[in-house]
Amino acid sequence: MANPSFRQGIRDSIFILLAVGAFGVAFGVLAVEAGLSIWVTVLASVIIVSGAAQFALVGLLATGAAPVLVATTGLALRHIPMSAKLAQIIGPQPLRTRLRMAWVLTDETFGLTLRVSATGVEDVVAYKTAADLMLYSGWVVGTALGAAVGSAIDPEQAGIDVLFPLLFLGLAAPLVRARRDWIVATAAVVAALVATYVLPSAWQVTVAATTAALAGVFVRE
Amino acid sequence: MSDLALILAVAIVTYASRVIFLARPRTSPGGKVGRFLEVFPVALFVALATIGLAAPDGQPEVTVSMAAAAGGIVGGAVFRRSLWGVIAVGAVSFYIVGLFV
Repeated sequence: MANPSFRQGIRDSIFILLAVGAFGVAFGVLAVEAGLSIWVTVLASVIIVSGAAQFALVGLLATGAAPVLVATTGLALRHIPMSAKLAQIIGPQPLRTRLRMAWVLTDETFGLTLRVSATGVEDVVAYKTAADLMLYSGWVVGTALGAAVGSAIDPEQAGIDVLFPLLFLGLAAPLVRARRDWIVATAAVVAALVATYVLPSAWQVTVAATTAALAGVFVRE
Repeated sequence: MSDLALILAVAIVTYASRVIFLARPRTSPGGKVGRFLEVFPVALFVALATIGLAAPDGQPEVTVSMAAAAGGIVGGAVFRRSLWGVIAVGAVSFYIVGLFV
């Protein structure tokens, strides 16, 4: 692929491919242990493409459909403002492209795309397509490996789980410039810590991020 | 509900939330909605980082992950807010402190 933006997306996502792949293995192992067949486990990663939602699904599988759907709805709500922001970033595009951009709208690829759109990239759609492909292949192949051959790697044991919050910290860093950004970031830290006390894990991120962003709406620049 | 139906339902909920603003082109929202969208990414990434680093097991307590957070902040300051600076210094701090804890 000659498109330089696509190549940049591939380069920037190598780390995500590896980290997400390791978590895919963990998901595959847990899903099979929870009673899903191998093919249903892989299908989940192919059509859901959301680590948080899939881990919630597996964790709550034994409790029935309602708790799973409530938890995954809580997790999914944060995608709504992400979707609106991404629509702004990519601008007018054919419907097929927009539907494809939504398919792998994850925290990681959204963050990378937002970052390069701020610093300047020639073709933001090609960039996100590359990042999506990397994340998607890592997640699906990792899941298949985990489901088929069992745990080759324990992400928590290897400390890989710490890389995701560091990624998000790194994605936030260039965005925090003005006084309002600092207030929102501080509000997000406080809201996230409070959320861990009072909310089930599936709702913590959505509620904390929404609360902090709402606080930012009322701050004068 | 069978496992397969449940997975399909989760996929529909997830995709619907992702596609809602992408399915139909709209003018960029202004006013309070526009300001909310401007600051939402900062709020989202900081919340994700805080929950992952400061409260990785759902309860805020001092853990080796705090070293990663501190390292990440130092890395961001030293390397001019570079993504890879944050990740590299944060990860190195995590592993070094982990050796002693």
